[in-house]
Amino acid sequence: MTGNRLGRLLNILDYALSSLGRKSLKNGGVFIIFTLVVFLFASFQLVSRALTEAAQTVLATAPDITVQQMSAGRQVSIASSAKIPLAPIFGIKKIEERIWGYYFDESNGANYTIIGLPARAGDSGGTQLFGLAEGRLPVASERGQVAISDNVRRQLQLGNRKHFSLFRPDLSQASFATVGLFAPKTEILTADLMVMNLADARDLFAIADGFVTDLLVSVANPNEIETIARKISEKLPGSRVITRNQILKTYKVVFNRRSGLGTVCLLTALAAFVILAWDKASGLSREERKEVAILKILGWQTSDIMLLRFCESLSLSLLAFISGYLLAWVHVVFWGGALFRPIFLGWSVIRPVFSLAPPLAASDLLLVFSLSVVPYLCATAVPAWRAATVRADSVI
Amino acid sequence: MRPSTGLLMTLMILSMLGGAVAHTVLIKRGEQAENLQILQGVVASLGLSDLALSTEARYTRHPAVSDPVVVSMDHPGAIDHFPSTFFWAPVARP
Amino acid sequence: MMPDNLVELQAVTKIYNQGQANEVIALKQVSFTVARNEMVCVQGPSGSGKTTLLSLIGCIFAPTSGRATIGGKKISRLPDHFLTRYRRELTGFVFQHYNMLDHLTVLENITLPLLPLGISPGDRVRKADRLLEKFGLSHRRNFSVTQLSGGELQRVAIARALINDPPIIVADEPTAHLDGKLSREVVDMLASLRDEGRTVVIASHDPIVSAHPAMARIIEVRDGIILHQLSGR
Ligand SMILES: Nc1ncnc2c1ncn2[C@@H]1O[C@H](COP(=O)(O)OP(=O)(O)OP(=O)(O)O)[C@@H](O)[C@H]1O
Ligand SMILES: [Mg+2]
Repeated sequence: MTGNRLGRLLNILDYALSSLGRKSLKNGGVFIIFTLVVFLFASFQLVSRALTEAAQTVLATAPDITVQQMSAGRQVSIASSAKIPLAPIFGIKKIEERIWGYYFDESNGANYTIIGLPARAGDSGGTQLFGLAEGRLPVASERGQVAISDNVRRQLQLGNRKHFSLFRPDLSQASFATVGLFAPKTEILTADLMVMNLADARDLFAIADGFVTDLLVSVANPNEIETIARKISEKLPGSRVITRNQILKTYKVVFNRRSGLGTVCLLTALAAFVILAWDKASGLSREERKEVAILKILGWQTSDIMLLRFCESLSLSLLAFISGYLLAWVHVVFWGGALFRPIFLGWSVIRPVFSLAPPLAASDLLLVFSLSVVPYLCATAVPAWRAATVRADSVI
Repeated sequence: MRPSTGLLMTLMILSMLGGAVAHTVLIKRGEQAENLQILQGVVASLGLSDLALSTEARYTRHPAVSDPVVVSMDHPGAIDHFPSTFFWAPVARP
Repeated sequence: MMPDNLVELQAVTKIYNQGQANEVIALKQVSFTVARNEMVCVQGPSGSGKTTLLSLIGCIFAPTSGRATIGGKKISRLPDHFLTRYRRELTGFVFQHYNMLDHLTVLENITLPLLPLGISPGDRVRKADRLLEKFGLSHRRNFSVTQLSGGELQRVAIARALINDPPIIVADEPTAHLDGKLSREVVDMLASLRDEGRTVVIASHDPIVSAHPAMARIIEVRDGIILHQLSGR
């Protein structure tokens, strides 16, 4: 009996596949649209998944607490003296001053991120730890040193030269010597970085003495970060206190379907399905009606016709889903999400080179599956039922 | 050949391709895991808060630490000027 | 085992679209029987209810009221599912309009009833080839049905009706689109099925059919009632 059941399934599947093949133009169109929708949606999901995962892992070592000064809804420089009221807070291990900002290079339109490192005890740490391919980080004791990425070196067209100069706001020149080069493997963090010491950054940006961009607070016990952050914001009215958790939270949602592209991918998917479903649901043609009636009169049960329709929709949607999903992986992993790169890098002149390797998660696959194959099957269930209930005697 | 056999074979070929892709991904992730540790070191030593992906706007270069209202600088309902903000969701309020 | 009367209708009424404006009473209180291994002809003018009567015998639908027993199975008030099962076990239907699926070949059309039974492609072809040979259609096996002549199509239809080896064959105007010689051939073919031990019911107003020597009875239908029954020659 089971053999017979399998035989019935295979026979009806054969019949379904041949009738799919017969209407190859229409079904080919459906297949391509379906594949494309799955491809776009899955690509977006995989790219954002890979970036989110990278951010969550990499930024796990971000500063415990960052303190900024707000004024008129914007971030402004914070006075170094803000450290004073914080000193008595129990549990703070260290407070460092930092200056960072952007330097716009008018000659090529690139935007560099400049970081003025706080003075540190272990200034000349190991190359490996700091992700430097060669050289070292600038030290506090010597002026005019920078560590840059290879990408920045290319943007500045340095070639083998070590020295270059940048303009201060008053257009006077500040000159720098390259002492370190970040490894290309770290581009996802360092692509646009110019790291110098605090004094150089203050000089370059002409920030007044006694002011810095933000304060980095280290906390002895990670469990106390939130409590200490609350205390800091109580002591410094008008400040913005950002904890590591908030940074991670930002990166949890920054690449997701709330973004415009995510919405567009979802909307195309939705539009495509509405079109497909409408096409399927918009009445039976005379031909179809006749075919079903003949099959029924020849002894096919209603359930056989349902199975036939189900085989048609399932094989079409499953094949399209698998193809689209595979293509999405190839696109993301082998082509680095080439289709989306222009969008998520935008008009940036400095484009980091990095590879994407999203995690293999069954839940991701199920999400795309349940947003593509499942609605398609549901959309085709009603017309399948309507076809299956055509009466046998309607051809006599 | 029966069409159903053809379908079965197609599915098998596709799953083999899937297996090959998964294999490559796992290898790549293995390599990436080492690199991620180096990157963690970079973040810790430079006190970084953001990924250097898109440098075209403050809120895509430093979404975690830029002003909460920066996306709606012009007008809360204004459409952004930058293509990358098409991919990046607006910065969440903490 | 099969009963003596393969078809037994008692006071059978069939109403199309019951309760609606376009209600049609196609059969009124019809009673008649067909014995096993008998060949009968149903005659009557157009619209008299021949096709309706044959559809009842072919288990295509159940009567609106009355008792209908086909091959020993009571088919009145039966869910569709069982009707379909009896249809494929008990009867083979040859239609007035062939009712072939144009996009399929002769072989595929003939084997359609076997698909939901789970019969393997090899067995299907074997069964079909036997019938195709019997009806001299082997050379047309892989033709599209649209390429066949009317006579060939009618033979394909008969072959398809026989694929499940049913005890009852029902043929609705099998000679309607054929000329005299071909009509004769088709009726001979149906008569040979009777000789194999099957019961054959043919609806026709073609004298070639009613005058066939194998015809046991002629049932005259008019406006949904049986006018009279004549025994054949
Ligand atoms: N599906 C249907 N719905 C409504 N009325 C129908 C249907 N089928 C047949 N009828 C009506 O039932 C009556 C009997 O029809 P039937 O088809 O049985 O006649 P017939 O003797 O086969 O005619 P013909 O020689 O033209 O084939 C006719 O009045 C016809 O209009
Ligand atoms: Mg008729």
